[in-house]
Amino acid sequence: MKRLGGIFWGLLFLAVPVLGVATFAIAPSIDVWLPKDVSVHGREIDALFYFILALTGVVFIATELLLFWFIWKYDAAARGDEKATYIQGSHTLEVVWTIVPAATLLFLAIYQMNAWANVKMRRPDMPPTVEVVARQFEWRLRYPGRDGMLGTPDDLHLVNDLHLPVDEDILVQLKSMDVLHSFFLPNLRIKQDAVPGMKIPVWFKATETGSWDIVCAELCGWGHYKMKGRVTFVSRPEFDSWLVRKYAEQEATQPAPEPSGTLVTN
Amino acid sequence: MNSTIRSLAFGLTPAVMLIVGCGPTPPAFFRPNMVEAISPTPEKDSISADQALLPAQQQQVATIMLAMFGTPDDPVCLPETGLDPAKLRLAAGPVRSDIVGRKNGLYREHCVHCHGITGDGLGPTAAFLNPYPRDYRPGVFKYKSTERSDKPTHADLVRILHKGIPGTSMPSFALLSPIEVDALVEYVTYLSIRGETELALMRQFFELDDEDEGKLPETQEFLIAEVLEPIAEKWAVAADAEIEVPEMPTGIELAESIAKGRELFFGDKANCVKCHGVTALGDGQANDYDDWSKNIVKIEARLSGLAKSDADAAERQWAAEFGQVLSGDALKPRTIPPRNLRHGIYRGGRRPLDLYYRIHAGINGAPMPAAKGTVDPEDIWHIVNYVRSLPYGLDGELGADRTMAMRPPTPAGLASTEED
Repeated sequence: MKRLGGIFWGLLFLAVPVLGVATFAIAPSIDVWLPKDVSVHGREIDALFYFILALTGVVFIATELLLFWFIWKYDAAARGDEKATYIQGSHTLEVVWTIVPAATLLFLAIYQMNAWANVKMRRPDMPPTVEVVARQFEWRLRYPGRDGMLGTPDDLHLVNDLHLPVDEDILVQLKSMDVLHSFFLPNLRIKQDAVPGMKIPVWFKATETGSWDIVCAELCGWGHYKMKGRVTFVSRPEFDSWLVRKYAEQEATQPAPEPSGTLVTN
Repeated sequence: MNSTIRSLAFGLTPAVMLIVGCGPTPPAFFRPNMVEAISPTPEKDSISADQALLPAQQQQVATIMLAMFGTPDDPVCLPETGLDPAKLRLAAGPVRSDIVGRKNGLYREHCVHCHGITGDGLGPTAAFLNPYPRDYRPGVFKYKSTERSDKPTHADLVRILHKGIPGTSMPSFALLSPIEVDALVEYVTYLSIRGETELALMRQFFELDDEDEGKLPETQEFLIAEVLEPIAEKWAVAADAEIEVPEMPTGIELAESIAKGRELFFGDKANCVKCHGVTALGDGQANDYDDWSKNIVKIEARLSGLAKSDADAAERQWAAEFGQVLSGDALKPRTIPPRNLRHGIYRGGRRPLDLYYRIHAGINGAPMPAAKGTVDPEDIWHIVNYVRSLPYGLDGELGADRTMAMRPPTPAGLASTEED
């Protein structure tokens, strides 16, 4: 009966690596794994993710098993009055477990530089495709008009529903109207803080048409959870005609006929 | 043995807490309109203790309201309201999924924390916002396509949900499905009709004869025909009461139209300059209030007047009670500054059409007056063009500082492919 405490704690510690590995093993099949990647640069990011996951995974399992083993083997209840051995520690062991992680981290720091530069430093040389202004609690969008410049009378103003052409370099000019937000496109492996007072360039290229989430990834206030937008990638001709249609709606001088099907009563 | 029990307890307690949860929440209820109950007269600067509804009368109003409109979890939808019960059900009640997995309780998911369960604009986050969220109960809506005193159309409210109200804390709900938006608009209409009905009932007490003994007749005929129907009728006719908008004048250069608009802006008839200021920065005057805030200001002035005067004990007692009600049921009034027209932020929408509506009909509930009748429709279009040029002006003179060609019908970058 006395032994039960040691067994309980030992199994509890063993449950950590078992459940940890099991979580990762079943995650993809219950759709809580990485969202589908539809960007050009995303493959590199994902490869880095998997590489680091494997590296830390092996270390995690080894460490956890060791913890379990120590608790199991050196359970006071099982070993009776046997005294613990006093040891000074091992200089060699300490040097090894300092140098190996340090070398690993240094390797990662150098190995990921290219991926980082692609996402944050090698900005395409082009005017912004669209300006995204984060605001509590929505994404305000502004497209340059015929003159290709933002801040002129022919800008197109929209909210939350971002449309962009597929297979083209996109440059977003990111701003915030109030507090810190974070422009997160999970499917494009893009996450960039929006900082009040700064115009931050964000670029990517989508490889697939379709609609994906825009979410705010920086706690920005009580309505943070509802700060959700949608990005839709369409072909260039579709994008152009969409712009034309939206601009015509914005410049309307007469009420539009009600869209059929959406406002019918009953 | 003890350590084992302790170990188990340590491990199991969080699990038990997770399973059991925190107990059921009490059912939601509509809050009575206490500010109006204690001073139901429209003339707020002369309110007094003898106008306040008696507790028995308040109780009667509450009973009638419950029968006519139900509760937030179980709304009653009388056919006379013209509302669709299916839509109300989708929006009302706690957030939950129905039998086919569709999200129900939309109002409480998206709206309630600002607009409140009663639609009184007193949700938990309301006090932090500037401007405050709309109180639906007076049935006054600002941004619409109908004349100033008319109700908004269903499509107007759908539009507000789609676009949000830039410059305020009202966000866009553009990504909700049309069915969901539709249901929410229906529910807002329901809350609004409910609030107006409550107020109308309270005011009915002043039209009673002596033989009524201070009680409203409870016949359904009276309640529906005299109180509910006139209110529902106003909502029903809104759909056909859209303002007729003449075509924007075409035989005139944009720059010329802007110049004309500028003249009107500063002129005696439109006199926009009086509030929006010579620079159009919205600094012409800064001390006016929305109608509902005006009421609170008047009440506060009256109450503080009573506190100072040698009013009798009953009046003082009533004033103290009313002070308590105000602190719980009304937000501290704030002035409504005229819009800064150089920001390029248009609360009621940025379409030329929206600006036409705003100038033509004014803004209900706000100090912005209607230009209808004093300014020709064509001239309203000139003002619209001038106002739309203002955010881009740099010299504070004629808005268009840089050359502004007639706006192209298509935006561009893309137009190059079309023209070739």
